[in-house]
Amino acid sequence: MKIINNPILLKDMKTKLRGWRTPVLISCYVLLLTGILLLFFLGNNMLDRYSTSAFDPRLAVDAYNYIIVFQFALLFLIVPAMTATSISGERERQTLELMLVTQTPTHDIIIGKILISVAHSILLLLSSMPVLGMVFFFGGIGIMEIVKLLIFYVLTSFFVASSGVFFSTLFRKSIVAIISTYIFLGLLTFGTFFVLGFRAIIMEYVTHSSIDVTYATYLTSLFPSPVFGFTSFYFDKGDYYSFRYSLWGELASEINSQIAYETSILRFLKPWIANGLFDILASALLIFMSSIMLSPLIRKK
Amino acid sequence: MMLVVENLTKKFKKTMAVDRLCMEIPRGEIYGFVGANGAGKTTTMRIIAGLLAPTSGKVYIDGLNIFRDPLKVKGRIGYMPDFFGVYNDLKVSEYMEFYGGLQGIYGEKCRELTDSLLELVRLTHKRDAYVDTLSRGMKQRLCLARSLIHDPDFLILDEPASGLDPRARVEMKEILKELRTMGKTVLISSHILPELAELCTSIGIIDSGRLVASGSVAEITEKMYQSGLIKIKVAEKEEEAVKILMEMPEVGELSSVAGVIEIKVSGGEETSVRVLKTLVENEIPVVSFHPEECSLEAVFMSLTERSSENENNQ
Ligand SMILES: Nc1ncnc2c1ncn2[C@@H]1O[C@H](COP(=O)(O)OP(=O)(O)OP(=O)(O)O)[C@@H](O)[C@H]1O
Ligand SMILES: [Mg+2]
Repeated sequence: MKIINNPILLKDMKTKLRGWRTPVLISCYVLLLTGILLLFFLGNNMLDRYSTSAFDPRLAVDAYNYIIVFQFALLFLIVPAMTATSISGERERQTLELMLVTQTPTHDIIIGKILISVAHSILLLLSSMPVLGMVFFFGGIGIMEIVKLLIFYVLTSFFVASSGVFFSTLFRKSIVAIISTYIFLGLLTFGTFFVLGFRAIIMEYVTHSSIDVTYATYLTSLFPSPVFGFTSFYFDKGDYYSFRYSLWGELASEINSQIAYETSILRFLKPWIANGLFDILASALLIFMSSIMLSPLIRKK
Repeated sequence: MMLVVENLTKKFKKTMAVDRLCMEIPRGEIYGFVGANGAGKTTTMRIIAGLLAPTSGKVYIDGLNIFRDPLKVKGRIGYMPDFFGVYNDLKVSEYMEFYGGLQGIYGEKCRELTDSLLELVRLTHKRDAYVDTLSRGMKQRLCLARSLIHDPDFLILDEPASGLDPRARVEMKEILKELRTMGKTVLISSHILPELAELCTSIGIIDSGRLVASGSVAEITEKMYQSGLIKIKVAEKEEEAVKILMEMPEVGELSSVAGVIEIKVSGGEETSVRVLKTLVENEIPVVSFHPEECSLEAVFMSLTERSSENENNQ
């Protein structure tokens, strides 16, 4: 497999990094993040009139929570749009066949397209590093947390990219591919919560008593959802923070507290690990299916 | 044999695009693939290039079954489609580098190949131009250079001169002649037969998915003489000449206008000789005797018209 010198990835890096667009976009992005962060700090300090210190470092943790949510939301917006046009776009531009007559196997073409958007989302993440680093500097979050987050972020973008490329191979029209990708990811992200709710209702019906949903139930219902995996990166440092009372904060602290009650081996399968494993396996399957569909001798028109 | 096609058939829902087509191309041959619009040229070539699965039939390139060993075969063929797109954010040299990479050629080797290929297609001066600023003819030549980057033995060129002005067509032809001297085997399609005649060593005529004639250019031309027309001009004794000709069993249709007699004869050159001999023996003053060289176009038309009549009847 051509991972490092994948010609498709190389070509994209060359054309995208040339010119003014990428640097300008990245600068805008960093400015935006910094702006959000500043507003956040200013807003909190102003509300908290009786604060004795000029700046409360615990606020940094809260800000961190907001920033990574924002970062992931962005990933889910950008990566599908980029990848869902990757193969269908080549088809529409009449360049796909020129690729298919070369000795490059179809899975290298698919992987090249995935790597392009993973590289882009890593670039976005790296450019937000100074802002995240600022939060890190104020304390409250360990370096290991950041590393885990990076791994999870890369795995997630790999999976999102694989889904986009899959639908781009499946459908001839880019627009259909984009919509399908969003629907597919939406179902995995939020549809799994319906599965969870449904299971809770059935359990209540069977046992005739209202029971707590255990971590095992959360895990087995929600493992495909990136939101679930993401709950591992929520930091609950007391009730002081506004973030605690967001819907997302509630969910994260509920799941995190349930892990403590879990006695089986499942307690080692933290949300981010479970979801990360799902990302790896699902991506492998999607890449496999995309490669087969892209192969002209297999696809029957 | 560079290419062997056995009973190739491709059916699209109702249309039979390729119908039990068989052909063989020996090494070093330039094979012209001629047919009207919709005859099945592109479909056949796409199957040979490994871009389309046939309904049935076998294709061997250099002895390799293309459906069993697709990647290996792809290393030996260069394909230029009839319609293709380019990436508009790439420069010419980067375009070549990209396809070089896809064929497993990198770095210095790729740059050297790019230089020599750009020289071959006369685009050296456009090395650093963006691909989308090239003219149609230049893009076509660039696409040809792209198909040669991995030095394939066998080239499949689908109407490489389509949409080009006469001057660009001549240029393209010159480049193709150079390919011939490089020892490449080429399968080239066109719907204009004379255009191929001077370039090719063999020609196959396809009609409604079937190969209706195939052979060397000379053989195909020969066929035409056989059903040829002869124009005879006589100084006098026109009526007598007509009478003599009418009696000959070889002579078919006959018309005469002001000393010029046109006859249609069946049979080859010996027939023409016999007709002339008979006239001279009967002391007809023959001014000129001119077996009309049937143009390749006429051959093409006569070979393909039967099936289009059938189509109209259906
Ligand atoms: N993808 C397809 N789906 C359905 N029918 C097709 C498809 N591709 C080709 N055909 C049909 O197959 C027949 C042969 O088409 P093909 O493109 O091979 O002809 P051609 O000889 O290349 O013609 P031209 O000189 O116009 O390029 C046509 O009747 C065409 O309509
Ligand atoms: Mg065609």
